[in-house]
Amino acid sequence: MGIPVSPDTTPDGLLATAPGPAAQRPPSGHDGRYLGRRRLYVRRFRRNRTAVAGVVILLLLVLFSAFGGLFTPYHFSDADFSALTQAPGAEHWFGTNQGGNDVYASAVHGLQRSLVIAVTVSVLTVAVSAVVGAGAAYLGGRVEKATLALIHFLLIVPSFLVLALVSHRLAGDWRVLILVLTVFGWMSTTRVVWSVSTSLRERDYVLAAEFMGVRPLRVVLRHIIPNLGSLLIVNLTLGVVSTVLSETALSFLGFGVQTPDVSLGTMLADGAGTITSAPWLFAFPAGLTVLLTVSMTFVGDGLRDALDPTSTTGAAGGRR
Amino acid sequence: MLRYVTRRAAGWFLVIAVATNATYFLASSFLDPRSNFKELRPVRTDEQISRALAPYNLDPHEPLLHRWWDWLTGVVLRFDWGRSPVGVEVNGEIGYRSLVSAQLVIGATVLSVVVGVALAVHTASRQYGWRDRAAQALSMALFNVPVSIAALALVLLAIRLNEQAGWHFLYVAGEKSPDVEGFWATLGDRLAHLILPTLTLTLTGYVGYHLTQRSLLLDVIGSDFVRTARATGLTRAQAIRRHALRTALIPTAQSVAFSIPAVFTGAVLTETIFGWNGMGQYFIQTINKNDVHGTVATAAFAAALTAIGAILADITTVLLDPRVRVS
Repeated sequence: MGIPVSPDTTPDGLLATAPGPAAQRPPSGHDGRYLGRRRLYVRRFRRNRTAVAGVVILLLLVLFSAFGGLFTPYHFSDADFSALTQAPGAEHWFGTNQGGNDVYASAVHGLQRSLVIAVTVSVLTVAVSAVVGAGAAYLGGRVEKATLALIHFLLIVPSFLVLALVSHRLAGDWRVLILVLTVFGWMSTTRVVWSVSTSLRERDYVLAAEFMGVRPLRVVLRHIIPNLGSLLIVNLTLGVVSTVLSETALSFLGFGVQTPDVSLGTMLADGAGTITSAPWLFAFPAGLTVLLTVSMTFVGDGLRDALDPTSTTGAAGGRR
Repeated sequence: MLRYVTRRAAGWFLVIAVATNATYFLASSFLDPRSNFKELRPVRTDEQISRALAPYNLDPHEPLLHRWWDWLTGVVLRFDWGRSPVGVEVNGEIGYRSLVSAQLVIGATVLSVVVGVALAVHTASRQYGWRDRAAQALSMALFNVPVSIAALALVLLAIRLNEQAGWHFLYVAGEKSPDVEGFWATLGDRLAHLILPTLTLTLTGYVGYHLTQRSLLLDVIGSDFVRTARATGLTRAQAIRRHALRTALIPTAQSVAFSIPAVFTGAVLTETIFGWNGMGQYFIQTINKNDVHGTVATAAFAAALTAIGAILADITTVLLDPRVRVS
């Protein structure tokens, strides 16, 4: 829901840190004091306290979603008719909803569902935008123009409306939701990848590869995309945030995940009606959602600072 | 300048036209008005359903291209956006609703830009001061709050405040009170209802402007022309406002257009939560009722809002950027 990054605000410094295949240094070894690239990144990342806090919170959330179900005898779809709309207590840790479903079990399952959707969509989106963005920049000419026109068109069209329209018919199934969110979510990242790739295509190692007769597809996959590594990793984490936001919005309106399945968005929608009479129905999913997005943003910002030495001045533009 | 703006406006009009027609085909293939009849008893035959839908240009046995052409000529020649599967005119529904939604979206966008840019100017000139850090932390936190959660949190807060004050001054439902008369009373009542939804959208919308504008400003604050401006005797604040900000505003102005779809998405959520009879709420209703024409009209409305934002952004760019004015 942020502003798409415009090409001129993309930090050029991201390129400087990513060594090309030609400049690949040995990861360890010839000198005792030499610091490997990975260890340098880890050290920089650990210096950032908010980023470390983000990782800890995120790990706890992942553990909670994976193993939280072991600590309760209830299943998210079980209805306990002896306890309808019960406040949090010893029997039901997070209380129960109007149908007698245990909110703790639902929260575990909903968080798991939302996490799986968000991570999958983000990985797919980044993969698509890397190939399309770098490919368009490298091939240039008509392909580039057509891709950019398509991207601009899709950015202007209210994609949320199209999403709602398409998922209304197909949804209920979270796997379909993943597909739909990917198809309508690749544009802004692609635009950033494209704008950065336009300078990569002029690099010497790309020229060298061309002179050696390497085919275009291989140049893109083997020489351009690896050098976008840091940018792609940062966009991966921030993509998770934006996917969680759109998934919860869609599910909230009833166009995303649908009953009997549960996600954070459907739980928010359930709790919205009883916000004064049964606040726990809303408070727990809301808290989990915000913890998830905030921790993911902290991790993303920490990664950007760790991978990009020039970004300490906050030079990065948009955050999506 | 006029030629530049007209050319851009024509381009945007084309985009709206293409987008609206594309939505028509999408909506026709994904929404099936026939399924509305499934619940009815006695069970309707296929032929009966077709006969019921035919007067509204929704008969699935009619080729899609024919239906599209009828719809398109209706829109272009008579500005008639068609009818719902039960025969309600879309025009009658959207007239009032579009005004309600437009004031929400435009108000929130303008407020977001103003608040975001003002905060950016304030914090960028005090980089790493405590105010900068506090604003940064607040924006980071707000950036991650989904609109639905922000809206409901505000509702809860408003109810508490109303109870504390013992006076119902914050409205959490509806876009107007039913029993208010007179021009000034109506205006005040509307504005009072606008407060919370606009606040929701502004709180979630200003963040992008604050963060990008701050970094854009920091990029130019150290440049030579700002130092030159100071050397002519301007104070630091004046130099930033008159010279640095002017350059740094151009990318922001351009990004306003791209952010309007997101604001509209937020409006769909806020209208649902605050119970407004606006376009966002209408969109959800029409999708659930398989109302092809209503859905397309909403999409056209959203595209038009985006285009208005884009044209305003273009005009701002022309005013800010002498390079555009000359060419």
